[in-house]
Amino acid sequence: MIESNRITTYILHNKNHLSFWLRRLKTSHQIIAPVRDISGDIVLTGIRHMHEIALDGPALMPSPKEFLLPQMEQLFHYSDDGVEETFNKQPRIIFGIRSCDLSAIRILDIFYLENNKDAYYESRRTNTVMISIACNQPDPTCFCFGLSTGPFLRSGFDLQLTDLGNRFIVEAGTETGMALVREFLHIFTDPRPEDIEDLNEVRLASQSRFEKRVNLEQVHRGILAGEVSDTFWDSVAARCFECGGCVYNCPVCTCFNVIDQHFSPDSGKRIRIWDACMFKGFTRMAGDVVPAAKKIQRTKRWFHHKLVHWPTQFGTFGCVGCGRCAISCPGRIDMASVALRTKGTEHSEEKW
Amino acid sequence: MTNSISEIRDARVIFVIGSNTTEQHPMIGMHMLEAKDRGATLIVADPRRTQIAQFSHLHLRHKSGTDVALLNAIMNVIITEWLVDLSFIRQRTELIGYDLPPGEEYVDLSFIRQRTENFDDFEKRILPYTPEVAERITSVPAEDIRKAARLYASEKRSMLFYAMGITQHITGVDNVRACANLVMLTAHIGQPMTGLNPLRGQNNVQGACDMGALPDVYSGYQKVADPAARRKFELAWSRPLPDKPGITLTEMVDAILSGKIRAMYIMGENPLIADPDMTHVKKAFAKLDFLAVQDIFPTDTTEYAHVILPASSFAEKYGTFTNTERRVQKIRRAVPPPGEAKPDYEIICNLSKLMGYPMEYREAHEIMEEISILTPAYGGILHHRLNANYGLQWPCPNIDHPGTTYLHQKKFSRGMGVFIPVEFIPPSEPTDSEYPFILTTGRSYFHYHTGTMCRRTAALEREDPECLVEINPVDAGRLGLRSNERVRIRTRRGSIEVKAFVTDTVPEGIIFIPFHFREAAVNLLTINAVDPNAKIPEFKVCAAAVEPLKRKAGVIQESRGVISTA
Repeated sequence: MIESNRITTYILHNKNHLSFWLRRLKTSHQIIAPVRDISGDIVLTGIRHMHEIALDGPALMPSPKEFLLPQMEQLFHYSDDGVEETFNKQPRIIFGIRSCDLSAIRILDIFYLENNKDAYYESRRTNTVMISIACNQPDPTCFCFGLSTGPFLRSGFDLQLTDLGNRFIVEAGTETGMALVREFLHIFTDPRPEDIEDLNEVRLASQSRFEKRVNLEQVHRGILAGEVSDTFWDSVAARCFECGGCVYNCPVCTCFNVIDQHFSPDSGKRIRIWDACMFKGFTRMAGDVVPAAKKIQRTKRWFHHKLVHWPTQFGTFGCVGCGRCAISCPGRIDMASVALRTKGTEHSEEKW
Repeated sequence: MTNSISEIRDARVIFVIGSNTTEQHPMIGMHMLEAKDRGATLIVADPRRTQIAQFSHLHLRHKSGTDVALLNAIMNVIITEWLVDLSFIRQRTELIGYDLPPGEEYVDLSFIRQRTENFDDFEKRILPYTPEVAERITSVPAEDIRKAARLYASEKRSMLFYAMGITQHITGVDNVRACANLVMLTAHIGQPMTGLNPLRGQNNVQGACDMGALPDVYSGYQKVADPAARRKFELAWSRPLPDKPGITLTEMVDAILSGKIRAMYIMGENPLIADPDMTHVKKAFAKLDFLAVQDIFPTDTTEYAHVILPASSFAEKYGTFTNTERRVQKIRRAVPPPGEAKPDYEIICNLSKLMGYPMEYREAHEIMEEISILTPAYGGILHHRLNANYGLQWPCPNIDHPGTTYLHQKKFSRGMGVFIPVEFIPPSEPTDSEYPFILTTGRSYFHYHTGTMCRRTAALEREDPECLVEINPVDAGRLGLRSNERVRIRTRRGSIEVKAFVTDTVPEGIIFIPFHFREAAVNLLTINAVDPNAKIPEFKVCAAAVEPLKRKAGVIQESRGVISTA
């Protein structure tokens, strides 16, 4: 995707035209969008009909990373005839994801595409276009605003839609995004000054609706200055249920395990599956030595990794403020809760 | 559970006995933690220092099998310190919030007088169980027993939770009776944020019991021995039905050996690993003329089967599950069953047809219809009502009923609640010089029961690859034992080899072994002693010996456990 510094803005006047546009795009791409399933949950899945799309729901669980880094992915198949790698080249559009998730994917791109390129990730990524939708109403668990990963982005998107009530603003940020609009210019018009005014108003309103104000920069500095004690981390770790929910749902977590499944002595497949550093077995070595046997080592490390190691190594936090860890953690030791407690805004005592 | 999970976060006192809640019921553990964050007091009674015990304000580490003594002593304190009256005084100022009928002044004492029977006899039998007597039996300090009693009794919103930790004893029923006595004594029943709340151990064991998968009841706990109930079912099913209850799982094994039972049809159960005294079970199963097993994977039980019927898993069929808070929820097929596997009801119906009793249900919801006709508590529960709001909690007697969040608001199932005094009876196999340790068994975090599913899952196997025995550091020191060293655990029934895990989770004198590992099957060691009423085995207590296995230099260690009999 060639990023252009120039953002081209359009107006989609008639919201019904969204269906038309996506239906036409569906002839060349798989469309993945939020859909309300029979039990009322909203999931990201390939759609058959446009009317299935539900844009009014909370954060999608798990995150969209499952389309670029599936929970279980076959890497290759082996047999007497040799090794056959599996690359997924299906053209797809992920429609309706949030700015935080888009920012997360851009962070995954740094990890999987720079330095050591991951061919499987690359194959999926180059065939994926993302049409994100800016958030007008953050959830109580969201804190992207402090991290510049939302509720809207100023660049780095293929196409960013903002809902102005009776119409959409459509911003194209890459050539790939532009290409999806160019074919259908008859349904898009140029913005008028009042459209831009409305856009700014909606953005300001969204920013003011955040229930949590989390400053990870402050936590980062605090950790480096040695202000966050092991007593504190111990009390955090005590509340950890070792369920792995934070890692599995996090759109930025990248770890995976590789296992082989044999069909016969001569053939089988190698797959990779999501893994979680929160599990004790993650660091288990031969001879049953487990370096991170104590919970505090794993809990503390997860936070340090996102707050200190990532910025040092990659120049960005390993967190986009999507709030999924808060939604899934049974012990309520998610990023926002922990960050707020290290600042001392919630409790002044050191232990939880 | 008499009450609901959503009430937990608003409780003021949470008393957990015999449940490792955060590890075995993590979502309920989560609510308990939330309640504690909001100021609730958490009391945990368990010989092991589990995660929930670490969160508690008061941890009562009573000796395995002494639950009756502990609970009776708590009730003793409540009665002798007139906590029954003390809490009413506080209660009067909080009357407004609890929808009590007007004119109700002394809730506790009047609760006892108006809604229970046999209090006077019960009170007499409780008086000998002073905290000092209980301290000698349970090794819990008398002062802690008093603290627990005062905390539990003096708050109005007190919830009591229990699980297998108190039921898997020869006094399992007595233990539960003691809990029932406690909630009636303090009137912590029939109101929100109170109740007697067993945490069921499978996702649908409540549902299975509700449907009468028990030898003495039809669905809805309608008794086989009750002629009116039997007549109703005979009418519905157009067949005469037996008028005597059948026998329980543990009795069946003995019945095979005595020749009374010659064939078995087992669905979704693995007795070869899950039943106590495995040697005894193996002998029995080898004797069967015919065994049919319906399961989703091969197990140690299918090894003995003449016919295996492939069943489908939770993700491969339609139906409902009923959870511990009596909530009936729909399940839907997400993936087709593999090969020839079928939903359980289809297999049963096909068999039934061949046996001369055709049962035709086109879809699962038609079965639910029949359940709702024959089961008063499920009267208003039909599949189309379960789509929204996460299902319905029974009793739900008719089609307009919204379900029931908490039970016994006006009266108990039998009308008046009855205090059944229970006496302390020690476990069936006491420790002695030859077998000085108490062996207690249970579940570990990452595995479930006999491992049919979870030991086929890479991530879970990696977390928990082999059987470990938890042993206290003082005991380990005395034996010269370190973590990761191999050790033989021996009882009168058999022996297994496992790796040691030295931890202060277990107190001195008690060792803990999970029952998930077929290659180190702890049920080779457990005792086939059962509660006389429920026939549940005493998985939680038997006498064991611990023998460290010293490695000889130059000898290659055998992998995993070696199973042998005594």
